[in-house]
Amino acid sequence: MRLPVFVGWVCAGVLCAQPVTFERIVNSKAEPQNWLTYWGDYGAQRYRDLKQIDTSNVKNLRVEWIFQTGQSGAFETVPLVVDGIMYFTAANGFAYSVDARSGRQLWQFKYPMPDGVKLCCGTVNRGLAILGDLLFMVTPDAHVLALEARTGRLVWNREMASTDQSYGATLAPLVVKDKVIVGVSGGEFGIRGFVDAYNAKSGERAWRFYTVPAKGEPGGETWLADSWKRGGGATWMTGTYDPKLNLLYWGVGNPGPDLFGEVRKGDNLYTAGLVALDADTGKLKWHFQFTPHDTHDWDGCETPMVLDIKWKGRDRKVLAQANRNAFFYLLDRETGEFLMAKSFARQNWATEIDAKGRPVLSRNADPSPEGNRVCPGLAGAANWMPPSYNPETGWFYFPVREQCDVFFSAPPVYVEGKAYWGSMFRGQTEEKEWGLLKALDPLTGETKWDFRYYKAPWAGTMATSGGLIFSGDEDGYFMAFDAKTGKNLWKINTGNRLVTAPITYTVGGRQYVTMPSGSALLTFALP
Amino acid sequence: MGKTVRKLLLVFIPAALCAQSSFDQGRALFRSNCAFCHGMTATGGRGPNLVSAPLSHGDTDVSIKRVIRIGVPGTTMPAFSEFTDEEVGQVIQYLQSLSKSSLRNENVPGNPQHGQQIYGEKDCSGCHRIGGQGSIFGPELTRIGGARSIEYLRDSIIKPSADVPEGYEGVTVVMKNGKRIRGLRINEDTFSIQLRDPSQQIRMFQKDELIGVTHETESMMPAYDRLSATDLQDLVAYLATLRGAVDSSAAVKKAGGIK
Ligand code: HEC
Ligand code: HEC
Repeated sequence: MRLPVFVGWVCAGVLCAQPVTFERIVNSKAEPQNWLTYWGDYGAQRYRDLKQIDTSNVKNLRVEWIFQTGQSGAFETVPLVVDGIMYFTAANGFAYSVDARSGRQLWQFKYPMPDGVKLCCGTVNRGLAILGDLLFMVTPDAHVLALEARTGRLVWNREMASTDQSYGATLAPLVVKDKVIVGVSGGEFGIRGFVDAYNAKSGERAWRFYTVPAKGEPGGETWLADSWKRGGGATWMTGTYDPKLNLLYWGVGNPGPDLFGEVRKGDNLYTAGLVALDADTGKLKWHFQFTPHDTHDWDGCETPMVLDIKWKGRDRKVLAQANRNAFFYLLDRETGEFLMAKSFARQNWATEIDAKGRPVLSRNADPSPEGNRVCPGLAGAANWMPPSYNPETGWFYFPVREQCDVFFSAPPVYVEGKAYWGSMFRGQTEEKEWGLLKALDPLTGETKWDFRYYKAPWAGTMATSGGLIFSGDEDGYFMAFDAKTGKNLWKINTGNRLVTAPITYTVGGRQYVTMPSGSALLTFALP
Repeated sequence: MGKTVRKLLLVFIPAALCAQSSFDQGRALFRSNCAFCHGMTATGGRGPNLVSAPLSHGDTDVSIKRVIRIGVPGTTMPAFSEFTDEEVGQVIQYLQSLSKSSLRNENVPGNPQHGQQIYGEKDCSGCHRIGGQGSIFGPELTRIGGARSIEYLRDSIIKPSADVPEGYEGVTVVMKNGKRIRGLRINEDTFSIQLRDPSQQIRMFQKDELIGVTHETESMMPAYDRLSATDLQDLVAYLATLRGAVDSSAAVKKAGGIK
């Protein structure tokens, strides 16, 4: 008799876990009790049909448990929850598994990072992916790891690329079918970016897609001379996926050197853009560039949300992205066709986006030796913090950063392993920054409501069928809002800036909301 | 005039420079990292003149390097600990070559004794503290002569709104009963605000208890724009002599990095 391998290996309360399969992740919205992948669902809508906590009772929300990791550095993880067990990472190569009801630890893993490696991009980590009995994570020195979900034991360990060439990694991997899809950081250090797929079982690399084409390849002509070799194009945020089209949507970071365009004349494909890749082969299906020849570090790595909408009377499969360059974009996700761009924050770098989606540039918006003031600033009007979508309102909810910078430039020289900014950017501007939580109609780009924060935020959002939007601000407030009106219904000061997005799940019929803050993972529930 | 509130967004900017001379590299590093405080040509602003005034921390390469590396605790001069030795060297070389053309022996005109008398007559100590004497409402002036350029000190007296340092921004809150309270903002976030009113009381509010919060663009310091030219010169000359010790127990600001 053949025994099913994983069935029944984990039980929480009366509930016993089934293995996480690709099909389960595809249908993750049918399991609102769980959070099976970084975005909660392949399309990154970050919406959960859970309404025990709703607009009328959210004011009673209180801390249920706190897990202290003791790890310093930004806590940017988004936990996974699988049938009562929570899995998450922290900075410095840590991963944990805890009982999702009590916060009691099941195991802890620490990546044994070799001594003396030079890290390009800090030790931040954004979370895990799961398939069967394996968890996957990346490391600051650009490795991909598989851990046994039951024990945290290391199963395999692959180097994506060398830290000697300044590669690093911070994202949460994405599992698609039998593959683990990952990307790299290092766009400030003259890397050549790529998206990689690894066989989940063996750890063998299945394919690689370079985000910067070589001379002679299609797109190679958009790079002056051999500048493509240090072209940047980091892939530092998790992509989204459409199972029907079998396409991956992956954001591509800035070209290098960041602020000095002279040495890399041309559009610099596919940087500051988005690529649609065949999930089985890594072959490019289409691409779109938000900011051709970017000189402000406006990565295209913001969440490419998958939406099915009625566009001009016709059902359209689209991607929605609030881009770092301060424009909200709608693209057809089958073809990459540009549908719409609307600015959602102050910007002075483009006079318009033309009918093809190409920006018409303003004067004096390039970095200069004396400095030019540009809005948005280097960190962008949006960044990696994920938005969410509520199908009942039909609105797109996201944090907006109102902040400008002065951009300087000077000719850089590439030295392997050193920052390749081109030269320096950003003094500081004399203006106060601020932030907004914004509800936007994705069909028109119009603002439905906004809520003003004192500072420009770094936390993402989550939507529930309880009519709520959860998010956080730079001062450490974790908050709940009425999705229809934008009214702030609940808040708690968590004592540290919030730099990731919340999740929600249930165990035994009780709804929980989790948000990392500082070095603590906070979980809330109704009394 | 930029009545603006100063915002520190210090970001250390590394530079894998550079084809050109190390003077150019030094200048580029200086413009983007230091000019914000020390001025485009290093002749001072919110930070001291580094070209033609005597340097209170010493003017040898070694002492300048020390200041750049570890900052000046208790002041806004941050530590650029992530600069490479080469980069620090380039900045110093740039600064030293600038000062060659104008020796660091700037002579401050005016009569500081008379300036001190004006300081007393105008009751500046009603808002400022020097060496433990006076009020804590406005910034401490114990070391102001070593920390700012002469031009900046003059502007601070005749048009204080031109540049308001962080921590001294004026705010007015309007309470539900219509009462208005003006003060200096100590802290603020999305939901609350804390301020010091002119009687030096600390006032704390939740924003939902208020009708509104207005951020003043005007300084809380009155403009002394009717002083005679000599009185102004003497007052500035007095302030320029204030070079008391820094509070070495205070924290050092660090020039931040970017991921
Ligand atoms: C945020 C403002 C600020 C920035 C940016 C800044 N400084 Fe300063 N700097 C100051 C202040 C204020 C002082 C005076 C500190 C004191 O009271 O001694 C100072 C002092 C100094 C001194 C010592 C002056 C003396 O009299 O001995 C040197 C040298 C110096 N800075 C160099 C630099 C360099 C080089 C940079 C850029 C790499 C830089 N500073 C960036 C504010 C700044
Ligand atoms: C009513 C209170 C008040 C009085 C009186 C006052 N000041 Fe000020 N002063 C302030 C405040 C508040 C600031 C900070 C805001 C600003 O820079 O405008 C300040 C700033 C300054 C600064 C700049 C400090 C720095 O760190 O850059 C100087 C110099 C100064 N005052 C000198 C004087 C002198 C000299 C007098 C008397 C002629 C005086 N002040 C009278 C409140 C006062």
